[in-house]
Amino acid sequence: MTPEDIDQILSSDDLLEPASGFVMSVMEAVHQQASEPPPRAFPWFRFAIGLIGCLVAAASGTILLLTVGPALGALSAPLAFLTRLEPEFGCVIAALLLTFAFASLRKLRLTV
Amino acid sequence: MGEGDQDAADVARIVAGDRNAFEGIVRRWQRRLVNLAYRFCRDRALAEDMAQEAFLKAFRSLATFRAESAFSTWLMAIALNTYRSRLRAEGQPLLSLDPARTFSAEVSALRGLIERQDAEAVRKAVLTLPGRYREAILLFYFEDKSVGDAASVLGIAEGTLKARLHRGRELLRQKMQ
Repeated sequence: MTPEDIDQILSSDDLLEPASGFVMSVMEAVHQQASEPPPRAFPWFRFAIGLIGCLVAAASGTILLLTVGPALGALSAPLAFLTRLEPEFGCVIAALLLTFAFASLRKLRLTV
Repeated sequence: MGEGDQDAADVARIVAGDRNAFEGIVRRWQRRLVNLAYRFCRDRALAEDMAQEAFLKAFRSLATFRAESAFSTWLMAIALNTYRSRLRAEGQPLLSLDPARTFSAEVSALRGLIERQDAEAVRKAVLTLPGRYREAILLFYFEDKSVGDAASVLGIAEGTLKARLHRGRELLRQKMQ
């Protein structure tokens, strides 16, 4: 088959006539779609407040650590038992936290 | 009133809240959208379904339409993106490139019929090309061989389109040997 044959074939494809009810079907779908409530907008205001809250907490924590640095050893003494735990325990906790984080992200995306 | 003016008038009415005006757009463009879809899938029912989806997307996006580009280019680009996503999600319909296998019952028939089989095999072979060549060829021939129109719909430079057409035709020729 020559390039000219291919060109000729592709230039001469038949034209389909849409079904008689096509326009009506599209308009029904349009009206149905228009009557649905609009999708919920992303809660930017709440998101901004949450973000500012996180930043304030992080800044306060940093300032606190710098201020009470020398006394940190005494403060963390009650948590010393954690060092006796197996390292696998930490991995399990990290995996659980990641799972919760991804689940929350998915929920957030669904509500947007 | 020209077709472009009618489209502009209908778009203005829809944006103003009269969604029945969309019917005029559907009536004027249904043949083009259904036929473009058919060239992408060679299946009538699927083509009408994809065209309906494209019209719905266009309706949803009408508020964002700016008259910077022609309405036809805008609508065809929406249709192209819809068909592309749909076929990517559902997979290209299964196609046989072997005319003898597809039409085994008619091989002994008249020469005209065999020519039609060959033609259909070529059109189906286009659908097995990599996406960029497939879209270039389908749009170019659908737009009556207008490089400018096809390139606008695809959102690429005319030179790029020509290169894709050249490569696509070469691949097609190899497939049909």
